[in-house]
Amino acid sequence: MRLNTDMAVNRIADEVWEIPPSEKSGMVVPARIYASETLLGAMDRGVFEQVTNVACLPGIQRYALCMPDGHWGYGFPIGGVAAFDRNEGVISPGGVGYDVNCGMRLIRTDLSLADVQPLLDRLMTELFRRVPAGVGSQGFVRLKRTEFADVMRHGARWCIERGYGWQRDLDCIEEKGCLDQADPSNVSDQAVTRGINQLGTLGSGNHYLEVQVVTDDGLFDREAAAAMGIEGREQIVVMVHCGSRGFGHQVASDYLKVFEKAMRRYGIHVHDQQLACAPFRSPEGQDYFGAMNCAANAAFANRQVITHQIREAFGSVFDRLPEELGMELVYDVAHNIAKVERYPEGELVVHRKGATRAFGPGRAELPERYRKIGQPVICGGSMETGSYLLVGTERAVRDTFASTMHGSGRTMSRGQAKRSVRGEALQREMKQRGIIVKAVSMSGLAEEAGLAYKDISEVVRTVDQAGITKKVAELKPIGNIKG
Amino acid sequence: MSYHITFPDDIALADMAFEAIANSPDELIRAATSAMIQSLADPTTIGRTWAHAVDRSANDLASLLFDWLEELVYLKDAHGVVFHDATLTLDRAPDDSAYRLHGWVHGEPVDPARQELRSDVKGVTKHLYEVKQAEGGWKARVVLDV
Repeated sequence: MRLNTDMAVNRIADEVWEIPPSEKSGMVVPARIYASETLLGAMDRGVFEQVTNVACLPGIQRYALCMPDGHWGYGFPIGGVAAFDRNEGVISPGGVGYDVNCGMRLIRTDLSLADVQPLLDRLMTELFRRVPAGVGSQGFVRLKRTEFADVMRHGARWCIERGYGWQRDLDCIEEKGCLDQADPSNVSDQAVTRGINQLGTLGSGNHYLEVQVVTDDGLFDREAAAAMGIEGREQIVVMVHCGSRGFGHQVASDYLKVFEKAMRRYGIHVHDQQLACAPFRSPEGQDYFGAMNCAANAAFANRQVITHQIREAFGSVFDRLPEELGMELVYDVAHNIAKVERYPEGELVVHRKGATRAFGPGRAELPERYRKIGQPVICGGSMETGSYLLVGTERAVRDTFASTMHGSGRTMSRGQAKRSVRGEALQREMKQRGIIVKAVSMSGLAEEAGLAYKDISEVVRTVDQAGITKKVAELKPIGNIKG
Repeated sequence: MSYHITFPDDIALADMAFEAIANSPDELIRAATSAMIQSLADPTTIGRTWAHAVDRSANDLASLLFDWLEELVYLKDAHGVVFHDATLTLDRAPDDSAYRLHGWVHGEPVDPARQELRSDVKGVTKHLYEVKQAEGGWKARVVLDV
């Protein structure tokens, strides 16, 4: 098999490949890539370079990981996972990503395709109106700076107190939608100014809001699906993919500069400037952790406000209360974050960048309704091919620091996608296939065409066979909003 | 105007990159500014009802360009605007200790109904970031996070 690397990549299980520390100077641990042969062969050179760069960072435990949707990123590859000793290890904005707590959210409904199809165009128009997307979009929530500090501290909980959601939503958000280590004093004024008007906005790039359908044939684990309120029978669900918008990006940019200087002071050398890091216990490391948690909370709040707007849109179009439509939150997962979690080695700072937490059954962190089945994992595919709902496993906790993939992963550049397809033509073709797309930017729409992404089924099959997540349901798009 | 901008595909798979070549440092700054403006929206669809004074300095050209491009991203979000153009002058401090950038950037508030919006650039990255004097002029390579 030809790979985009000269390094030795050894197969250690059907879907697990290892690059030994001898392959690069400075590697402290091996690098492990989860992939089928097809996916590994398609991985770009950056994945191999970057995952082995991560394996060189101080305090890293066991191995640097890359998930099957992995591709080149900044510092860490997208799909990268690494855990560092809390006392001896580092924290790196490059291991979290610019869009702090970019994540996925899924909302179920009692509606069926037959209920929605006659009103789909009107529904998508209403969603497009209520959930701003694209360059410079601003939300309807207007905040004073003191109020935004409350958003930073309390995340989704702030939204519930303001009436943007239901109290029980909090149970179905990772960390109940609030990371309590958030410290607004570590956030710059610039970051606040960028973020203060963006609550309830999607952004652009690969972010989206999608109306999807779950058929009976798309159910793989009926017991787990039932626990999540997913019943098949052409049931309508709504998926949201977005993060902390300009606010999180400014936090990341601010601290990359801080860490570049700090590394000299701490004598840390990295292979890539974008891997700038500082000891987790250092003042710089703690400041970033406090600021990053603010951005993560803002992202939870962003998705919560969007959820409120989705419920309002459905309520308005179907002339019923969202509660009557059964619009319960299934789950909300972060896929760009660093968190302190306990493993056999002790307390570790687990970085997930384009990777999802995947706790198995029995974990106290999960709401009661999910303790038997494991944590819901929401995996977003391209707007043409569909998405998946899965559950975490004990094996993930054991083998991958409770982590799995987050999406399908790109295989084609944005420019190449735009040369391959025109936004207007794609929108027309998708409508003919029964998918209504509303987009702010037609060039942005072309960049997100299905042909630019890996085959999500192959990605999901890989993690399912590797046992680090199990398939529950396939979700097929019928409406999509893009920035 | 004596500069050339390209948007190569093979640098940033999921994001966006541009390369600028110019005869001089000030033209290079103008080229990179134009590339950033074009990345956000088609400038021919953007008016000039909003303006912001530019006044930056840095010890080296690479730092100055990086900070200036970051400022454009900040202005976009903080003021909810996209840009038509920038009129910029680059000079050196009297003791040659720093590059200084002065001028104005013009644009207008975001209005998707009238404007051709493109990518919501969220950050300027150091990934493969380069500003250098090369044969035939000055070159910059910038990867933008979208």
